[in-house]
Amino acid sequence: MLASQGPHAESTAGIAWLLFAGGTAIFAGVLAAIWLAARGPAGARDVLAREGMVLAMGLGLPVATLSGLLVHSLRTNAAIAPRDPPALAIEVQGEQWWWRVHYLDDQGRPVFATANEIRIPVGRSVELLLRSGDVIHSFWVPQLAGKLDMIPGRTNRLRIQADRPGVFRGQCAEYCGGAHAMMAFHVVAEPPAEFEAWLQRQREPAAPPRDAEAARGRDVFLANGCGLCHHVAGTGAMGRFGPDLTHVGGRLHLVSGWLPNQRGSIAGWIASAQHVKPQNRMPSFTQIAGADLRALAAWLEGLE
Amino acid sequence: MQFLLRRRTLRTLALAAALAACGDAQREGAGAAPPDTPGVTPPAAPALRGVVAPAADAPQDGQWRMASRDYAGSRFAAQDEIRNENVSGLREAWSFSTGVVRGHEAAPLVVGSTLYVVAPFPNTLYALDLAQPGAPMKWRYDPPVEPAAQGVACCDVVNRGAAFDDGAVFYATLDGQAVAVEADTGEERWRTQLGDVNKGETITMAPIVVKGKLLVGNSGGELGVRGWLQALDVRTGAVVWRAFSTGPDADVRIGPDFRPHYESERGRDLGVTTWPPDAWRIGGGNVWGWLTYDPELDLVYHGTGNPGPWNPDQRPGDNKWTSAIFARRPDDGRAIWAYQWTPHDEHDYDGINESLVLDLPWNGAVRKVLVHPERNGYVYVLDRATGEVLAADAFAPVTGSTGVDLVTGRLQVVPEKKTGTGKLVREICPAAPGAKDWSPAAFSPRTGLVYMPVNNLCMDFEGMEVSYIAGTPYVGANVRMYAGPGGHRGELAAWDPVARRAVWRIQERFPVWSGVVATGGDLVFYGTMDGWFKAVDARSGELRWSHQTGSGIIGQPISYRGPDGKQYVAVLSGVGGWAGAVVAAQLDVRDPTAALGFVNAMQDLPRHTTRGGALHVFALP
Amino acid sequence: MCSRCRDVARAALLALALGALGCEREERRFQPEPRGAAEPVFARVSPLVPGPPEPAPAGPNPYGGNAWGIGEGQRLFTWFNCNGCHANGGGGMGPPLMDAGWIYGGRPEQIYASIAQGRPNGMPAFGTRVPAEQIWQLVAYVRSLSANVPKDARPGRPDAMQTDAPPTIRDPREPLRERGPTP
Repeated sequence: MLASQGPHAESTAGIAWLLFAGGTAIFAGVLAAIWLAARGPAGARDVLAREGMVLAMGLGLPVATLSGLLVHSLRTNAAIAPRDPPALAIEVQGEQWWWRVHYLDDQGRPVFATANEIRIPVGRSVELLLRSGDVIHSFWVPQLAGKLDMIPGRTNRLRIQADRPGVFRGQCAEYCGGAHAMMAFHVVAEPPAEFEAWLQRQREPAAPPRDAEAARGRDVFLANGCGLCHHVAGTGAMGRFGPDLTHVGGRLHLVSGWLPNQRGSIAGWIASAQHVKPQNRMPSFTQIAGADLRALAAWLEGLE
Repeated sequence: MQFLLRRRTLRTLALAAALAACGDAQREGAGAAPPDTPGVTPPAAPALRGVVAPAADAPQDGQWRMASRDYAGSRFAAQDEIRNENVSGLREAWSFSTGVVRGHEAAPLVVGSTLYVVAPFPNTLYALDLAQPGAPMKWRYDPPVEPAAQGVACCDVVNRGAAFDDGAVFYATLDGQAVAVEADTGEERWRTQLGDVNKGETITMAPIVVKGKLLVGNSGGELGVRGWLQALDVRTGAVVWRAFSTGPDADVRIGPDFRPHYESERGRDLGVTTWPPDAWRIGGGNVWGWLTYDPELDLVYHGTGNPGPWNPDQRPGDNKWTSAIFARRPDDGRAIWAYQWTPHDEHDYDGINESLVLDLPWNGAVRKVLVHPERNGYVYVLDRATGEVLAADAFAPVTGSTGVDLVTGRLQVVPEKKTGTGKLVREICPAAPGAKDWSPAAFSPRTGLVYMPVNNLCMDFEGMEVSYIAGTPYVGANVRMYAGPGGHRGELAAWDPVARRAVWRIQERFPVWSGVVATGGDLVFYGTMDGWFKAVDARSGELRWSHQTGSGIIGQPISYRGPDGKQYVAVLSGVGGWAGAVVAAQLDVRDPTAALGFVNAMQDLPRHTTRGGALHVFALP
Repeated sequence: MCSRCRDVARAALLALALGALGCEREERRFQPEPRGAAEPVFARVSPLVPGPPEPAPAGPNPYGGNAWGIGEGQRLFTWFNCNGCHANGGGGMGPPLMDAGWIYGGRPEQIYASIAQGRPNGMPAFGTRVPAEQIWQLVAYVRSLSANVPKDARPGRPDAMQTDAPPTIRDPREPLRERGPTP
C-alpha cells in the first residue's frame, strides 16, 4: 500500500523515511538525555546542564536540522517539479462523492469522459488538473504522489508517473460530506501500447447492444430516465451530473472504486444504491422489475 | 487593447453625461453629439447616400408582400401622403382584436384589397377585407397546432409574420409546421411538419419565398436544438433542401464553391471540429431571424443563432457556424461564403438580425453591401459578394469586446468579460438580447439612414453546469439584466451607414422591441413597450405624432395604400416577447433571473401596460 | 436530589428535546419504499365536485417539513432543468412558482401530478423518468418557493445568483464601472 511506484512518490517517500528515521533518532536521543538527567552520573548531568549545551541542543540543533530539511525538501520539490511538458493532461474533478475524469487534447479541450478510474501509460509523466465541482476534496494516490487538495474555483496541477504496470488505489483525503469514506478511485498504469488502444476505444461511442437482452437493457435505461444524469455517447443520454457510462463495462470497479464491476453488482447497485452507499446522489431504482434490471445490468456490463 | 477599451468607455461616459445633461428631454436633437464623434454633426451630404439594391427592391405599388416588404429588407414605403406637416392629423381608421394575449411580433401583409395577419400561438391567420368599411373578416384559417409547443418556446409564443407569393400566404406555426393557405379562399394548400416539439424545436420566424421556394428556419437555441434552414416547394410543400448550421460540411451544404473571405472560416468540417465531441448535435445556431436576398448575385443571406448552452465552458472552440451569417444559393442551399460575427459566443449574441441589401458609396465607388446591426453591439458593413467586413462600428455601449479586427475579421473579446461555470461576471454590455435584437430596422433611400431599434441593457452572468435533456432548456446560466449607462433601456437610432455614425437618437424608457417603417413622407413609425405608436421626423428625429394603443407594441409596423387610394399605417399591439414576458406570461418580478434575466430589467413594465393583442390601422381623415 | 443536580437534569432533558426536534427536521431517508406506496392515487385539480360536498382529501407530503428533502429538491430542480423554464421561481418559458397563483393546483399531490403526468400546455411528464422519492423532494422544494413549508425547513439562501444587490437601474450620473469578474 505504501510502496512507492513512481518517481514522484519515490522522492516523497524518501523525505517521509528521512523524517521518520531522523525523528526516531532525535526521540531516542531525547529519551537518553532525560534518562541521563534523571539517573545519570553527576558528570553527565553537569555536562547537560551547561549553558553551552542548552544553547547547542535547544537552539543550534533544531536550526541546523530544520534548515537542512528545508534545503532537502526544496531540492526534492525542484526535482519533482515538471521540467518537460507532460505526455498527457487529464482533468480530474472531485464531485460529491465520485471522481469525474476528462482526457484532454493538446489544446486542453476534453476528448472523452470517464469516472473513478484514471488510466495512464507506464513510464510517462502525466499531468493531472485537479478541480472541484462542489466542495473541497483531496486527491491522494499514496503509491504515486502526495496529497493535493481540489478547491472550488481553482485548478491545482499534479504530476504522476508509474514505473510499472499496476492498479493503485486512491482516496478522497478531505472530508467532503456524507459518503466521503466511500469516495475512492483507482489509477491503472498500462504499457503504452495497451494504453493507446484503450484511448482509441474510449473515443468511440457506446457499442451497439450485443443481443436482445442488452437491447432491452438499453431501452430500460432510456425509459427510466437514467439519461437525465448519465451520459452514454451515441444513445441520446446526455446528462452531465452523474458519471459518464459510455464505457462503464470496461472499468475495473463500480461505485467509486467500491464494488467489483460485475453484472450482479451493477444490478444490486441500481436497485439499492442508497443501501450500498448511503446518501450518495443516485436514488435506488426500486421500480425497475427483476427481468428489466438484469437486462439493464447486462447492457451496462457490455459497454466496454 | 486596454487603451482602446478605455477610450470607448470614455466616449460612452461622455454620451451618458450628455444625456444626463438633457434631463427630462426625451430626444437628443440632431445637433447634439452622437456617441462616436463627439462634436458637431456635419450636414447631411445628399450625394453620399446609399440606395436599396435595385434588384432586391420591390415595386412601390402600395402593397406589402413579405414581413420586411422587399428582398432587401428595407421596410420603406414610398407613399408620401402622410408627411411631417399633416401627420398630427393621423387618426385610427379601424382596429381588429386577435383574441390572443401573448406577444404580437408579426408584420401584417397587404395584397390587393386584403390584409393578412398571423396571430401568436395558436397561429390563426386572418384575412381582412380592406375594400369594405371597418375591414371585416374575409376568412380565417386555424391550423392544428400542438399546445405543448408553448412549453418549449424560449421567449414567448410569438410569430413574426407571413409571406405572400403565387396566390398563397405562407407562414410557420409554433409547433414547427410550414403552411400554405390559398389567399382568396383560406383553403389550406399544404402543410408540412418540419420540427419536432419533443426536441424543443419551434418556429417563430417570418419565412420568405425565393424562386418558387419557401425558406423556413427553426428556433430553439435555448433548448439545444440544432439549427437549420429548409427550402420547400411552394406548390407542394415538399422539402427541396435542408442546410444545418452545425455539423459536417455535407450537412451545412458547404462544397467546393464555398469561398469565405477569412482564413478562420476555411477548413474541413469546421462545424464538427470547432466543438467538443457530439456537442454540435445540440449546439443551436438556429435560423430564427431575417432572410434577405439579392437576385442579382443570386444569394440568400441568413444569420444563425447563439450556440448552446449559454455556458461556454461546455463547448470550447469556435462553435461554427453559430452566431454567423451565410450566403447561400436559393436553388440548392449551397453555401458560398460565411462569416462568424461572434466566434465562441459567451453572451447569447445570436447573429440573426436583418442584413439590409444596399448599395452604398464607399471610398469613392459604389459597393454592394449588407448593413447588419448585430446583437454584439456593432453595425457591420459587409461586401455581400465575398463576406468581407468593410466596417464594424459600435452603436451602443460595449464592454464585452473592443472592436472587430478588419484584417482577420475576428471580434476582439475582452478577457475579463468571458463567462464560465461558477463564475459571476458583472456589467457585460450589451446584455443577452444584444444591443439590438430581432426587431427589424428600416432604411430610407430618401435620407440614406438606417432606423434601428436599440436596447440599452447590460447584465451580470453566472455560468453553471447543465445537462442536455431533450425537450428541456439547455442554458446553464443565471442572468440578470439592467439598464445600461444613462438609465434608459431603449433607443431609436438613425444610423448613417456611410458616415458610420448615429445622426440622432431617441431615448425610450423601455427597450424598443418593435419594428420600424420609414415612409416617403420622411416619417419613421415605431412603437414602444408601454403602448405608444409614434411618428418621428426621419431627418431630425423630432416627435410628430403619437397614439396610445392600449398594450405595449412589439410588432412590425407597415404602410400600405388602401383600395381607396389612401395611405395607411398599420401595427399590431400586444405586449410580450422576451422583453415583455413579464407581462404576457405574468412572471414574478421578485426573481431577477426570471425570463433568462430579462425580468430584472423590466420590473416596472406591469405598471405601464397590460396584455392583449389588436391590429391598429391609421390614416388621415 | 440536590437542586444543582435537578438543574443539570432539566438542562439535559431540554437539550435532548431540542436535539430530537432537530433530528426530525433533518431526517434523511435513503432507501425508499418500493414504488407505489408513496404515490397518490389521484390528484383532484378542480375545486368543484358535483353532488353533496365532501372533505378535500388530505394529500401526502413526505418531505413537507424536511429540510434535507427540500434541499435535495433544490438540487434536482437544477439537475432536471426545471430552472430552465421556471427560473429560480419567477418563471420564463414556464409559469412562476413563487407567486400565489397555481394553474393546476398547489397542494402537494397536485404538484406531484403536474410533475409526474405533465400538463398539456408545455409541462413535460417526468413520471417515468424520475423516481417517486425525487418527485416528492421536488414537490417540497416547489412549495418552499412560495413559503408553503415550515420556515425552519426552508433553504436559508438560494443556490442561484445572490439577489441581494439592488437591481441596478443606474443613476445616469454614475459612470459605468469597469470591474473584472468576481470569482
